[in-house]
Amino acid sequence: MSSRVVVLGVGLHPFGRHPDKSIGEMARVAGLAALKDAGVEYKDVQAGFCAHVNQGVAAGLRTFGQLGMTGIPITNIELACASSSRAAMLAADAIANGLYDVAMVIGVEKMERGLLEGVGGKEFGYNDAMGINLMPAIYAMWAQRHMHLYGTKPEHFAKVSEKAHRNGALNPNAQYQKVISLEDVLASRMIADPLTLYECSPTTDGASAVILASEAAARKHTNAPVFLDTWVGGTPEYHRGEAAQAEGPNAVLAQRAYEAAGLAPEDVDVCQVHDAFSPGEVFLAEELGFCPEGEGGPFVWEGNTEIDGRIPINTDGGLLSRGHPIGATGGAMIAELTTQLRGQAGQRQVSDAKTALLHNAGIGGVNVMVLKR
Amino acid sequence: MSTGSSVEKPPRRVAIKGASLRLGEGEEALEGSRCPDCGDTFYPPRTVCLSCYHEGLDRVALSRSGTLHTFTIARLALPGAFVKAPYVIAQVQLPEGVIVPTVLDDVDTESVRIGMELELVIEKAMSDAEGNDVMAFKFRPLKGGAG
Repeated sequence: MSSRVVVLGVGLHPFGRHPDKSIGEMARVAGLAALKDAGVEYKDVQAGFCAHVNQGVAAGLRTFGQLGMTGIPITNIELACASSSRAAMLAADAIANGLYDVAMVIGVEKMERGLLEGVGGKEFGYNDAMGINLMPAIYAMWAQRHMHLYGTKPEHFAKVSEKAHRNGALNPNAQYQKVISLEDVLASRMIADPLTLYECSPTTDGASAVILASEAAARKHTNAPVFLDTWVGGTPEYHRGEAAQAEGPNAVLAQRAYEAAGLAPEDVDVCQVHDAFSPGEVFLAEELGFCPEGEGGPFVWEGNTEIDGRIPINTDGGLLSRGHPIGATGGAMIAELTTQLRGQAGQRQVSDAKTALLHNAGIGGVNVMVLKR
Repeated sequence: MSTGSSVEKPPRRVAIKGASLRLGEGEEALEGSRCPDCGDTFYPPRTVCLSCYHEGLDRVALSRSGTLHTFTIARLALPGAFVKAPYVIAQVQLPEGVIVPTVLDDVDTESVRIGMELELVIEKAMSDAEGNDVMAFKFRPLKGGAG
């Protein structure tokens, strides 16, 4: 790889319900914010990557086109809930290999209220007839298995959501900026045991934008770059006789990222994980190496993942409170970690954060990244 | 519609899309595939072995009983689904090593436990436009099995 890659600018359109806004409008707000943050103009951007899941043909042109029409190549990327982190990886690959100096990722999604459709398309079949295509049920079944094997309790999972909403209350871009007590999380409507409504991420409208640059290009605009140091992606691995336990080999990818970045888990100062449902943070605390296997529940319960804890996780509220506009989520994760590493996170700032880890998962793949300043 | 003059034929039984079933008289079972080279077994059936990449697997009837690998109690029904909430979504581990996503039938939702013994039930889910019986499957607690 010829160049280190810098996260030069990040921007968001506030996450929430925006039924009257087009994806272009939301992308424009996020994109202009990222350009301003980076200190570059749109004409400096040499390639565009548009991450979305359900926004139709040519979403890339409908979003980037709001910022300008400079003739650059724009590519649409779909990797379910991990789309925009994968888009950033592809942009980073190109920059690291000298193809571009400056590239831009826009993640965008408009969603309906209610349950997401499962994988498998429109044809009505067994999983539809039997009600198996229930997204919360996937995490709920992993959670039941975790409870069975390790004695994890429903309160441990609920704690993730209580903490997420407390952090989200400090984030002006979050969909829910409201503290929810542990009792209220546990007392909200049961969806799929042990998961209650407040342990399921909402559907969300929103956009994220990330501008990546080669180190040489970035140095013209900043003296304190935040580097996208390492990025690895993967898909589930088949192991004979074992049930699929996650969207991908989380622990394997994390280990690969740590080795490439020259880090150990205890070196991570701030982290973003995919908490589409509350058990996600419990599982990932283990899989990313922050605590031993099976101890994720007590680890979260005891406050280790709080902003002032041993390893702050999802300081912006995570998917549960910041919201989860699926195509935009990975970019929002990069935005939060970049903001933290710059020391610009205000009330939710982790003190002296130098090294950050990102985990973004979708049905179809997982991405792990290391950011450093 | 049948008329008085036509001969009544029993409806043909077909598997619901997305389920792989053997529906012959006396041999009702889930149908998986087994690798003739390494013996690994899969449900749903596939063509290429995930363990050794052998192409062209044998179709085999799978065991009719297994154990509960994990589950959840779904508290809301999905649009269009035939099951009424609350219902139990389950992963059943068969002796062949495969794990089958399904729902549980004939079970007290509060008494479901990981590891409980289960058996296959194949039953009619609906009729299709041609008048065929569309068959689906569930699992239920094994009669006399260890709870």
